[in-house]
Amino acid sequence: MRKKLIRLFDFAGVLAALCVLAIFVVMIATTIMREIGVKTGGSDDVVAWLTASAAFLGLAATFRHGDFVRMSLITEKLSPAWKQRIEIFCLVVATAFTGYIAYSICRFVYESYEFNDYANGLVAIPLWIPQAPFAFGTILLFLAVADQTWHVISGFEPDYVVAVRERHARGDFSEDM
Amino acid sequence: MGLIEIAALLLGLLLVLLCFGIWIGLSLAMVGWFGLAFFGTSPPDKNLFTAFWNATASWELAALPMFIWMGEILFRTKLSDEMFEGLSPWLRRIPGRLLHVNILACGLFGSVSGSSAATTATVAKVALPELLRRGYDEKVAIGSLATAGGLGILIPPSITMVVYAVAADASIIRIFLAGFLPGFLLMGIFSIYIGVWAIRNPDKMPPIEPAMSFRQKIYASRRLIPVCLLIGFITWVLIAGIATATECAAYGVLGSLAIAWWSKMLTWENFWTGLMSSTRVSCMIMFILAGAKYLSLTMAFTGIPIALAEWVSSLNLSPYSLIMVLSVVYILLGTALDGISMIVLTAAVVLPMIKKAGFDLVWFGIFIVLMVEIAEITPPVGFNLFVLQNMTGKDSNTIARASIPFFFCLIACVIALTVFPEIVTWLPDFVMGKEQ
Repeated sequence: MRKKLIRLFDFAGVLAALCVLAIFVVMIATTIMREIGVKTGGSDDVVAWLTASAAFLGLAATFRHGDFVRMSLITEKLSPAWKQRIEIFCLVVATAFTGYIAYSICRFVYESYEFNDYANGLVAIPLWIPQAPFAFGTILLFLAVADQTWHVISGFEPDYVVAVRERHARGDFSEDM
Repeated sequence: MGLIEIAALLLGLLLVLLCFGIWIGLSLAMVGWFGLAFFGTSPPDKNLFTAFWNATASWELAALPMFIWMGEILFRTKLSDEMFEGLSPWLRRIPGRLLHVNILACGLFGSVSGSSAATTATVAKVALPELLRRGYDEKVAIGSLATAGGLGILIPPSITMVVYAVAADASIIRIFLAGFLPGFLLMGIFSIYIGVWAIRNPDKMPPIEPAMSFRQKIYASRRLIPVCLLIGFITWVLIAGIATATECAAYGVLGSLAIAWWSKMLTWENFWTGLMSSTRVSCMIMFILAGAKYLSLTMAFTGIPIALAEWVSSLNLSPYSLIMVLSVVYILLGTALDGISMIVLTAAVVLPMIKKAGFDLVWFGIFIVLMVEIAEITPPVGFNLFVLQNMTGKDSNTIARASIPFFFCLIACVIALTVFPEIVTWLPDFVMGKEQ
C-alpha cells in the first residue's frame, strides 16, 4: 500500500515536470506564431494553468525529497530524542493543516464544477478542468505528510532528511536555492 | 484587541512556527488562516482557495521554473571550465590577477543565470580548485566567490527579481533593466577591493605567471564564445520584441539546451534529472508564494499594513533614515531567512510603507535584491555559505568571516544606490521612457 502511494507521488512529480516542459513548448510556440501572424489569444491562460498545475502536482514529491525549506537553526542543537519529538509535533501540525488546505481547495473546485463556472479569458472552458490538478496536488501533499508522520512515529528517520543527506553526499547542491 | 496586539500576536505565532521547524510555506499559510479565522470577517477557506489559485495560476510566474531550469542545464555543461580558461589570460598582469576571474565569471554567468547559489556553485566548481592550486590566498578566493555569486540575482535574468515583481505587482522588464548598472557598479567595487588588497599584501600573492601574447590571449578567449552567444541571443530575442520578459526565459532554456547539445553534454539522463530537480525547486518556491499570498490577504483584511505605513509616515523619517532602518531590519532577517522567504514575508507590510514614503518600486526592487545578496552570506543561514561549505569542506562560519570585506563592498554599493538612485532608474527610463 505504502509503496503504491509513493509511486503515485513520484508519478505526480513526473506530471509536474511535464507541465514545466509544456510551459516551455507553449511559450516558444506562442512567440513563433505571433511572428508569423497567427492569433495566439488564450495561450497566456494555458501557461498560467500549467504553472499552477506544475506547482501543485509536484508538491508531494518535493516534500519527500526534502526540498521544502524550513528553519533548522534551533532544532539542530537538540538531542536526538527531542529532535524526534519536535519532528513529530511539526508533522502532526502539518498533517492537520495540509488536510485543511486539501479540504478547502477541493470544496471550492467542486463548487465551481457544480455551478459550472467558466474561465473568463479567451479559452472558454469550465474552470474545474484546469483546477483539477491543483486540487489533486493538495490531496497528494496531505497524504505525503500524513505518511511521513506515521513513518516517524513508528521510529524511522523521515524520508526527506535521508534524501537531503544522500544528495549532499553525492556533491549535488543544485536544489539548494 | 487593537491592531498592534493583533499584529504582535500574528508575528509571534509566525516566529514560533518557524522556530519549531515547520516548513516556511505552511507556516505562512497557517498564520494567514489564524488571522482570518479569529480576527477576520471573511471565510478563511474561501480565501485560502482564492489566494493559492491566484498566486500560482499566473502567467508572469511561469518565468520562474524556466529560469531555474536554465540554471540546472548550464550547471551540467562545461561552461565553467570555458569561462575560467577564456578569462584568465587577460588578468595575469593587473593587481589581484586571477582573483578577478571570480568576479568577472560571476558577472558573466550572472547574465545568463537567475540564481545566486547556482552562480556560486557553477563558478566555484572550476575557479576555486584552480586558484588554490596556483597558490592564491584561500580567504580572498572563497570570500569573493561567496559574495560575487550574488551577481547571479542582481544582473538579469533573476529569479529573485521575478519573485519581487510578482509580489510587488511591478514590471519585470523594468526591474531587469534596472539591475544592469548596479551589477556593473558592484563588480567594479569588488575588483577595486581585490586590487587594493593585492597591492597591500604582495607576500600573499603567488609568483607571476608568464604573459601571453595578444594573439594567444584572443585565441584563448574563443572559449567565451558559447556564453557570449547565449547572452547575445537572449538580449536579441528581448530587444527585437520577439519575446516578452517572461517568454525570454523559455528562450534562455532553448539557448542553454543548445549549448549543452553543442558541448555533447545533453544526454537524456541529464535532461530529465535537470528538469525534475528544477520542477521541485519551483514547487518549493511557488508553495511559499502561495502561503505568502494567503498571509498578505489576511493582513489586508486586518488593515495592519496600512496602519503601519501610516504610522511610519507619521514619524516623518527622512528617506535616508527609512532606508537605513529597513537595511538593518533586512540584514537581521537575512541572517536567519533565505532571500525569497524574506521578500514574500515582508512585501505585504513594507511595500505600502515604501509607496507612502514616495520611493520608486523598481528602485526598491534593486535595494531588496542587494539585501538578499547580503542575506546569502550572513550566517547562520546563507545559501552561498552552504554551497561553498559543501564544496570546500570548510565550516560555514569560516566562509562567512572570509566574506566580511566583501560584505562591506555590498554595503558601499547600497549606500551609492541610495545617494544616487539614478544608477538604478536611468537605464529603464532611457529604454522604456519614464513610468507614469
